[in-house]
Amino acid sequence: MITVPPNHASAEADGIDASARCPLGLLTAFALLWLVVGGALALLSLLQLHSPGLLADCAWLTYGRLQAVQETVFIYGWAINAGLAAALWLLVRLGGDGLRGANYVILGGVFWNLALVLGLVGIAAGYTTSHPMLQIPRYVQPLMLVAYAAMAVPGVLAWTGRRTVQTYATQWYAVAALFLLPWFFSATQVMLTFLPMRGTLQMVVATWYAQNLISLWLAPVALASAYYLVPKITGRVLPGYDFAIYGFWALLAFGTWMGGRHLIGGPVPAWIATVGIVSSILVLFHHIILFVNLRGVFRPDGSTVLIFVAIGILAYLLSGMVDAIFATHVLAMVTQFTYFQQAQQQLTLGAFSMILFGVLYYMVPRLAGATWPSVALIRAHFLSVLIGFVLLVTSLGMAGWVQGRDLNNAAVTFATIASHTRPWLQLAVVAQALMLLGNLLLAVHCCWLLCARFAPAALSRTAAREVVVS
Amino acid sequence: MKTGPFFFFGMFFVLAFSWAGLVMGPQAQLGKLAPYYDDAEGKAFPERVPGIAAHGQLVYQDLGCAACHTQQVRRPDQGGDKARGWGERQSVARDYVHQSVPQLGVIRIGPDLADYGTRAAKNGLSEAALLADLYNGKNGMPAYRFLFERRKIIGEPSTKALQGGVPAGYALVPTARAEALAAYLLSLKQTYEFVEARPYEPAAEQKGVH
Repeated sequence: MITVPPNHASAEADGIDASARCPLGLLTAFALLWLVVGGALALLSLLQLHSPGLLADCAWLTYGRLQAVQETVFIYGWAINAGLAAALWLLVRLGGDGLRGANYVILGGVFWNLALVLGLVGIAAGYTTSHPMLQIPRYVQPLMLVAYAAMAVPGVLAWTGRRTVQTYATQWYAVAALFLLPWFFSATQVMLTFLPMRGTLQMVVATWYAQNLISLWLAPVALASAYYLVPKITGRVLPGYDFAIYGFWALLAFGTWMGGRHLIGGPVPAWIATVGIVSSILVLFHHIILFVNLRGVFRPDGSTVLIFVAIGILAYLLSGMVDAIFATHVLAMVTQFTYFQQAQQQLTLGAFSMILFGVLYYMVPRLAGATWPSVALIRAHFLSVLIGFVLLVTSLGMAGWVQGRDLNNAAVTFATIASHTRPWLQLAVVAQALMLLGNLLLAVHCCWLLCARFAPAALSRTAAREVVVS
Repeated sequence: MKTGPFFFFGMFFVLAFSWAGLVMGPQAQLGKLAPYYDDAEGKAFPERVPGIAAHGQLVYQDLGCAACHTQQVRRPDQGGDKARGWGERQSVARDYVHQSVPQLGVIRIGPDLADYGTRAAKNGLSEAALLADLYNGKNGMPAYRFLFERRKIIGEPSTKALQGGVPAGYALVPTARAEALAAYLLSLKQTYEFVEARPYEPAAEQKGVH
């Protein structure tokens, strides 16, 4: 499973990695911290569904607020920090020069996470915007935009200063993510926060934003990583690579229209939902090309990194299909407003996280100039997040299906619905706990790696059992 | 791909296109939506809610009530919304024109509240009973004890005080936030029959109607 020939980066790549060590190490550290914090909060909020009395007397941790806090921590804490670290690293490596503008990343990273803390305190104190996936209070939104722009600067520099004119799929996806988030984030801030649109139009904008965050940020960053790692590790040319460009534009062009499917039957123009359903089917063109290009990942040849990426790609393809199938009217009438939609969201976010774990296992040792100290910890992390991920999506999906069917039958009371969903939600608690445990192991492992690298005494103890992960 | 400017222009355009379509399109359609003035009744619908209810909406938003409750009723033929008594008709955009941040919600762990005020009036649910539910929690809804405070009774006890729960000489009184929240919930009404909200009648129900 482990110990693949080191595939040693050239001296040049070492230089590139060394230039990125400090800023990207910082972002990774923030990301891992938020991942663990977010997991703990998610677990707590799931437990509150079982026993509503849990922490109910504490206004700051009441279910509605805790739910918003944990969602924000996951997206703006884990996903954006880790995703930016990966995207910048990929762009810098493919650009061929060292990371330029490292101070921008450090400054931006510090302010982004500071703003996030302020935002989370704000949500817990009741200043949420109450828009799904954009719960951060209005007073930190501009700061986050500026901090993000600062962090993205080195990515732009790496693109404009690249040594080869020809670009690669990884670069398109990574640059698209870096470039498009400020576009839709700023537009959304204006239309939702500072000059809010009227009435239900806010829901339309919020849905557009949330879908863009998934289709134009999380997915591109994850796919940029996959397009880099798969040929790099397998050493094989990507089949059908000529089509990759069409897959890229298909994601951008159709993905951004998909959000409307959530608004089916809502107090908004009906065509929005129709366009959303059609787009979520059209976007499958992108998924097909992705599968053609990256199918080599399903023969990982014992590479741990590729196994993570393979699970992530599989989940991503599956989420594309599930989104398309369950957008249809008949099924949406059951799954709308239920845990099923949370399951769909977890499937997408989990796909992102799995691929990002793969990148971290590849990137962190190269950035730090050290190797992972323990194979067992990597295996334990893999198993617990994989089992947790599958369990969580299945249990939430089943809970949602049961809940949706019960909701549509007016004879079933809410107490009965709760008793029907309880076993599945209990399973979800187990799943969330497993993932938290796994992610805690990852964080501990990273600390261990750093100690082994920068504390000589520890280094000598672990030198005997070093392993190379590729 | 070699053409950098084309690449950036393409990305910019793709997003601008979806922004124009998905955001500005509905804005053009609904951005100027006004209340409907009914000559027969001599007033405009939806009616404006009193200030305390508008304040209550902020409390609803700040507590994240939308994490469990929606406020949007689907058409009678879609799902069990009408059968559950959540509303006689579907919610339409005009219902929300006076709301600063409509709380449409995305999940129904609890019932839909779009027409809660009407329902409460029909079932004879008083404000006091609603406040008691908020204090005690109900059907899996957590208790919101922090919206209430224990006060020593000096002179006459508050008329809003809940019964029991505190030792003699004290009263359990809803805070201003609790009262605003209750006023807001009881103000939620979607009863006026806007033209666009005429229930879509499935073919089966139209039989025999001439």
